[in-house]
Amino acid sequence: MKNIWAVCKREFTSYFTTPIGYVVVGVFALISGLAFVLSLLTYVKMSVEPAAYGYTSVPDFGETFLSPYLVFNGILIMFLSPLMTMRLLAEERHRGTIELLLTYPLRDREIVFGKYLASVGMLLVMMCVIAVHLTVVGRFAPLEPAVLVFGVLTVVLMGMAFLSMGLFVSAVTRSQITSGTLTFGVNLVMYVVGNIGEKLPKTYPAPEAWPEAVRSALGGVYALFRGLIMELPLDAHAKDMALGVVRPKDVGYYLLFTAFFLFLTFRALESRHWRGKS
Amino acid sequence: MIDVDGLTKYYGTIAAIDNVSFHVGKGEIMGFLGPNGAGKSTTMRVLTGFAPASKGTAEVDGFEVHEEPIEVKRRVGYLPENVPLYEEMVVRAFLSYVAEVKGIGRSKRRAEVDRVMERCGLTAMANRIIGHLSKGYRQRVGLAQALVGSPPVLVLDEPTVGLDPRQIVEIRHMIRELGREHTVLLSTHILPEVSMVCDRVIIINQGRIAAEDTMENLTRDGSRTLEEVFMEVVAKDEAFVDASAAGE
Repeated sequence: MKNIWAVCKREFTSYFTTPIGYVVVGVFALISGLAFVLSLLTYVKMSVEPAAYGYTSVPDFGETFLSPYLVFNGILIMFLSPLMTMRLLAEERHRGTIELLLTYPLRDREIVFGKYLASVGMLLVMMCVIAVHLTVVGRFAPLEPAVLVFGVLTVVLMGMAFLSMGLFVSAVTRSQITSGTLTFGVNLVMYVVGNIGEKLPKTYPAPEAWPEAVRSALGGVYALFRGLIMELPLDAHAKDMALGVVRPKDVGYYLLFTAFFLFLTFRALESRHWRGKS
Repeated sequence: MIDVDGLTKYYGTIAAIDNVSFHVGKGEIMGFLGPNGAGKSTTMRVLTGFAPASKGTAEVDGFEVHEEPIEVKRRVGYLPENVPLYEEMVVRAFLSYVAEVKGIGRSKRRAEVDRVMERCGLTAMANRIIGHLSKGYRQRVGLAQALVGSPPVLVLDEPTVGLDPRQIVEIRHMIRELGREHTVLLSTHILPEVSMVCDRVIIINQGRIAAEDTMENLTRDGSRTLEEVFMEVVAKDEAFVDASAAGE
């Protein structure tokens, strides 16, 4: 436990002894701030003239402003997460310091959790930016506690999932550029795959002439894959949760996603002990 | 203190080291001598628990490195080749981190960091950023991190590479001093270095041990230089390899 803290502390300090920490938090603050102001202005217009926007009464604050704003922040973190995770293990390997790290009396889990928690620490720094926005808006409109708590939790869970994936990629790469680009690519695919899911027909379009058994078998397989693709996108589980509607499957999705990639990171780090040809 | 038995390590199909066995007693300074690519670093990497061996065992203080890596790592201070360091950190912060991961409690940490900085002549550089230090000082930081926690065994991979003559003399002097309290395994391809620093020498060539003896025996009490011994041993070894290859 003490060792996790030692690794985490060094890693977290490194974010701020190099420019990367300031750049990531700065860019996040800028874009998140712009998004906040713009969506707040739009909401103000909507509430003054609901009819012009197709609403019969003043639209719900949580639904039309708060939830989309928080989900947007989650997606913003998706774009920035490769910058936070790309160096975690790749740079140690590139600079050779991994030789020090792995010969100190540290267990693999202490290294993995320490590094992961350092990146989660960065995430919490970013959440402070969101906290400022929410405090400002909270002074003018009462925020529903459930929406607030679960909305913020949604962003944190999304961020944790992105970071765990980035850590894994960093564990199997040597160059930061490869690590960052690959993480970014996988993030984007996870994001875009949702659009594919929406375009897919509900059932498998098998020709009528095919035997019934084949059609139903193919249909079953197809339904499974379609379901997976629909459930896969990292933001698909965020929208409802950001409104305060918490379903176990949504929370479970993020926790399992995180646990899965942390597990893979352990295995990637452990693989060095696998003995070569004997 | 160090017991290596039948150590073999393959990279793909190439054996970097092949059936290497040796023993280093407590308080000894053992020189590990060989041409570049002979397998010195590989042996050290296996011994420090960084890389697994394909075959054989390596024990430090009775703990097998593959079986009980943490116990071995607690007892070994390691200076890797090329001295990798966290460039962006300040010397004191880095050594303090090393002390922390080596399990030195908060109350003793500062004193321990001061001790190793004093020992390695780094006290004046305590608040410098490592990336801004000269090669000689980087080497000292590398040595200092190995010394943190006073591990009984020190494994130093080419500690004098890239230093100027004055720094080389300083580092050698320091290693001699360290040999009084620690067991030291030192690799190098600079021959005079071994004769100045080490009690015993292992000559390794093409992944196999070509000779192992005390300095006195190898040089026949100074009647031969170590260069002559080295060239002879390496040549004999290569002739043996050629002969056995022809015999197959």
